[in-house]
Amino acid sequence: MADDSSAAVRPGASPAPRSGGVRSVVRPESLAEAVDAVRAAAAADRALLFTGAGSALSWGAPPRRTDVVLETTGLNRVLDHAAADLTVRVQAGMSLEELQRLLAPSRQWLPFDPPAASSGATLGGLLACADAGPRQPAFGSLRDLVIGATLVLADGSVVRTGGRVIKNVAGYDLAKLFAGSLGAFGLVAELTLRVHPRPRATATLAVPVAGPEGALTAARAALRSPLEPVAAEWDGAHRLLLRFHGTPGGVEARLRLAAAVPELAGARPIGDEAEQADVWAAQARLVNGDEGDTVLRAGVRPAHLPDLVRSLEECARRDGVEATACGSVAIGVLTVRLRGGDAASHAACLTDWRRTVHALGGTVTLRRRREGVDALADAWGPAPSALPVLRALKRRFDPADRCAPGRFAPWF
Amino acid sequence: MEKQVGDRGSVTDRGGPVIDTALRRAFQAALGPDAVLDDPLQLRTYECDGLTGFRRVPALVLLPRDTEEVAAAVSLCAEAGVPFVARGAGTGLSGGAVPVAQGVVVSLARMRRVLEFDPEDRRTVVEPGVTNAEISRLAAPHGLHYAPDPSSQVVCTIGGNVAENSGGAHCVKYGFTVHHVHALRVVLPDGSTVRLGGDAPETAGPDLRGLFIGSEGTLGIATEITVRLLRSPEGVRTLVADFPTARQAGDAVGEIMAAGIVPAAVEMLDALAIEACEAAVGAGYTRGTAAALVVELDGLDEECEEQFRDVVAVCRRQGTTKIRVAADARERALVWKGRKAAFAAMGRISPDYFVQDGVVPRTRLAEALDRIAEMSKARGLRVANVFHAGDGNLHPLVLFDEKAGETERAERLSRDIAEMCVELGGSLSGEHGIGLDKACSMPRMFGEDDLAAMERLRKAFDPDGLSNPGKVLPTPRLCGEPPGRYRPHPLETAGVVERW
Repeated sequence: MADDSSAAVRPGASPAPRSGGVRSVVRPESLAEAVDAVRAAAAADRALLFTGAGSALSWGAPPRRTDVVLETTGLNRVLDHAAADLTVRVQAGMSLEELQRLLAPSRQWLPFDPPAASSGATLGGLLACADAGPRQPAFGSLRDLVIGATLVLADGSVVRTGGRVIKNVAGYDLAKLFAGSLGAFGLVAELTLRVHPRPRATATLAVPVAGPEGALTAARAALRSPLEPVAAEWDGAHRLLLRFHGTPGGVEARLRLAAAVPELAGARPIGDEAEQADVWAAQARLVNGDEGDTVLRAGVRPAHLPDLVRSLEECARRDGVEATACGSVAIGVLTVRLRGGDAASHAACLTDWRRTVHALGGTVTLRRRREGVDALADAWGPAPSALPVLRALKRRFDPADRCAPGRFAPWF
Repeated sequence: MEKQVGDRGSVTDRGGPVIDTALRRAFQAALGPDAVLDDPLQLRTYECDGLTGFRRVPALVLLPRDTEEVAAAVSLCAEAGVPFVARGAGTGLSGGAVPVAQGVVVSLARMRRVLEFDPEDRRTVVEPGVTNAEISRLAAPHGLHYAPDPSSQVVCTIGGNVAENSGGAHCVKYGFTVHHVHALRVVLPDGSTVRLGGDAPETAGPDLRGLFIGSEGTLGIATEITVRLLRSPEGVRTLVADFPTARQAGDAVGEIMAAGIVPAAVEMLDALAIEACEAAVGAGYTRGTAAALVVELDGLDEECEEQFRDVVAVCRRQGTTKIRVAADARERALVWKGRKAAFAAMGRISPDYFVQDGVVPRTRLAEALDRIAEMSKARGLRVANVFHAGDGNLHPLVLFDEKAGETERAERLSRDIAEMCVELGGSLSGEHGIGLDKACSMPRMFGEDDLAAMERLRKAFDPDGLSNPGKVLPTPRLCGEPPGRYRPHPLETAGVVERW
């Protein structure tokens, strides 16, 4: 096990957790080493931060205290790929991209495409962040593909949940507690995933749309049609991207039929696989944002989306920032990027717009922010009604508050 | 040999507070006198669920009309320390809705309103007493449907589906309840009301919605459920293929999946199951064939047709003796009627039967069937097999005659089959839940630390253990110490819990 006592998390990792002095970094290479590291931290009452590729350290609130960084990228092996059963068991520090490469020869994949994948994001990290990509309308996010998990709790106990079969309702599904947990309940050490057959053909259609209303109208029409799009992403301006999967004949038929859907008038197929990949990579860059941006992710009722985009524009004008929004409009997932202005204007826009989203029953997660925003705005905003349950869970699973303390401040 | 137990004031398995007159009046004041049942004859109708071997009469049954009344009822329970069990249609097959002696049953039967229906955003908000099939019926005029389709869908409620994370024949392609619920309004065991999940699949923080779904009534009571509706597929093709052996049918399923085809449903019935279904429904399955495979594809018409031809070719390669293609929606419905009637049809060929629900990795289906055949022979009892072949979810039906004293033997055989599934790398339950029935088998599948973590989770929601106590997790009181292979548990011996 690597134990590096320097303050740096890892060369190239961005950005380092902003907390008072990281004391050590451990990089276990087996479940036993990971358990030892967690137990050692428990015995010495040290605060732990679990990281994978480090691509989402800026999500949520900054850890209040980090004594030990447990980096999972050494846990990177496939434990069992039961191709005919459509399952694979992996160590959770494996990157999504690596898993896709390993599954490819079996003509299988995980139908999961979060934009962070290109930064080497790990499977455990992606579960803990509840990240999702454009194919979410058809396949959900990682929590929907996890059928079993091995978790290391704050006290070092090793817990297995779920199983290795794709259908199973025995016991509570603790993996759901870890989905979106940002490491606050413990470490995701191993995952068993349901894989899918890789589609034999894919196609992407670029539909010209007028603003969020147009994007929503076109996306809804596509979902109402027999086309079965697996993704419908608005680029925040004048284009809706539709993606189709199927047999070569099936995909061809979809493109043909799309021409007959009035709301998709003017749609243009994006050429070959490479060109499609470029278009989707550009969409992913919009979601990831750049250094200095503030990036928010909202979940809202799709019908509210056009109003919320307008309200974002108003907030941005008032607070003196540039704001753009894009996302999976048909399911109400929106990524907002704030640029320009200063920390105060970012903080004001975040707070103002979040209030509007909450008033309409939506939720907002802060994924990245301009330096200085934390001092001016809290990361999570108004607490959900289930806050007492979240606090009770934290008390039961991590009573000494050693796992990523402060990551959900001010909630718990 | 049926014996009623747990009457108020007689036997209690908790030693908890007895419901007194003051508490009864408080329930009446909060819910109205007609919403509080205490007539012994009426109470008796709530003594069990679809697994009729476990019976206990509750002290009271409450019939709230909305979330506020559920919250009022649960608050009173919490204040008095009285355990409660939520109940939908009572079709569960794992004893999950069996009352607690001295406890309250909260029946959601009066909460049947559709609160919101939005075809544009493809969702509806319903109360828990709405049936599964009713949702799809509402959605049908808009070309939409609710995907999970448990066999009991005509009567089972969406609240019960949420509690059990119900699946059905089509979940190999479409997933389970947890994949189709956006949000829940939940009354927690302390009587407070929270919202779990949200308007979009992404929310902020841990997935409490996902935790709650499948928690079998132990974390609280869902009172409003926002479900996702899917566009109904343009094309549907269904065939029934007969095979001389179950192994060949299993190989056909393997080859279909390996070709990258994700069927909407793949079901298998063995000779005995076919015999019963034909006797009951006459759906046109071939009597005497060793195994029949029902394969359904759906999706874009052209693609569906293309893949259907591939499926037919696979079945031929694997030696099918007969392929029947459903000519139209009516014939398709008949094929499904036969399949979905399978459990009840057993009554035609056996005086009594147990329905088992276990899962094995799909590739070990043939092995599991061989083991079941051996175990069946060793115990001298017939077992009919109906199962979801696409995901390895077995429903062996153990046939027996109570009058001939075969009950205990049948129960052992059924339990051994579930535990064999775990040995083969599978699960104790694919969709019926653990409930009371399998709580004592949980240590077969999970270790001490695993179960301890589940207990922590439960305590976070329900520190006083009032919400459906005694279900899901093994307790020394229920299972004896240490938990292990089945034996009659102390409560049975003490006459507190009774089986067939």
